[in-house]
Amino acid sequence: MSAAEDQADVENVLAGDDSAFDGIVRRWQGPIVNLAYRFCRDRARAEDMAQDAFLRAYRALASWRREAAFSTWLFALATNLFRTDLRRIPAGTIPLEELPELQDTHAADGGLEDEDRDRVVRNAVYALPTKYREAILLFYFHEMDVPAAARSLGVPEGTFKARLFRGREILRGKLERRGVSAGLQEEIP
Amino acid sequence: MTRDALDRILSSEEQIVPSSGFAGSVMDAVRREAATPPPIPFPWERALPGFALGVVALATLLFAGFMLRSPASPAAAPPAYTLPQLLAAARVAAVKADGAGWAALALLLTLASVFFSLRATGSRT
Repeated sequence: MSAAEDQADVENVLAGDDSAFDGIVRRWQGPIVNLAYRFCRDRARAEDMAQDAFLRAYRALASWRREAAFSTWLFALATNLFRTDLRRIPAGTIPLEELPELQDTHAADGGLEDEDRDRVVRNAVYALPTKYREAILLFYFHEMDVPAAARSLGVPEGTFKARLFRGREILRGKLERRGVSAGLQEEIP
Repeated sequence: MTRDALDRILSSEEQIVPSSGFAGSVMDAVRREAATPPPIPFPWERALPGFALGVVALATLLFAGFMLRSPASPAAAPPAYTLPQLLAAARVAAVKADGAGWAALALLLTLASVFFSLRATGSRT
């Protein structure tokens, strides 16, 4: 992803060449759709949300101040939009208590049961209170880059770290009650 | 649960690939957006005199209400007034308070209000 290409495309769009926005869409469609998918867990809805985000970015291009990278601005705008959208129509998540019990988290070949456990852990993340869920999702979406994730949420890094810590604590407690923790702990030497 | 285990599970979350027509669909929406004329701005220049007159009228009514209440004895309950009574009282109070100056100002405001109303409605037809 080239910051120079982003900047050139933005300048062209602002100069009246709307077709230059196509370059921005093609470069960022994957990350933005995946970000939306992490919020809503629905592929079709993720594409609708991502399209709204690009349209909002197109309208607001002139407000991008060059102090931050274009990607930072785009992710912050998209995150804000996705959060608003999810508040309006919440994603259909299954409460952790309604998930089936894991009978055995260790398969002989480490196969399907690991997948089941991972699925339970991810569902537990989606069952967290919104502010903790968002912090955890963005932390992993931005590949554990705290400053980038905090900027996307528009909160100070300290606040973000506190939410991340608290979210993990809640998650750990919930998973221990579901019997997932034992399997995970045994993996650590 | 250890942090490493959680990191590993959440970092390995599946990636989805946008559908083939996604970029085209976004660009269609962008072109529609570009072709849409900008929204009509609110006519502040026309509305401001009306707002100003409204504020003056409200202030006059409050002033009239204050003038009507002040001579009454503190023990008596304040009587209820209708709008025409308040307007008439405002005229009387204005004359009592500052004489002809207030009356002239009220008259000017009335004339200005009528003038702007006629101008606003006339320009639409």
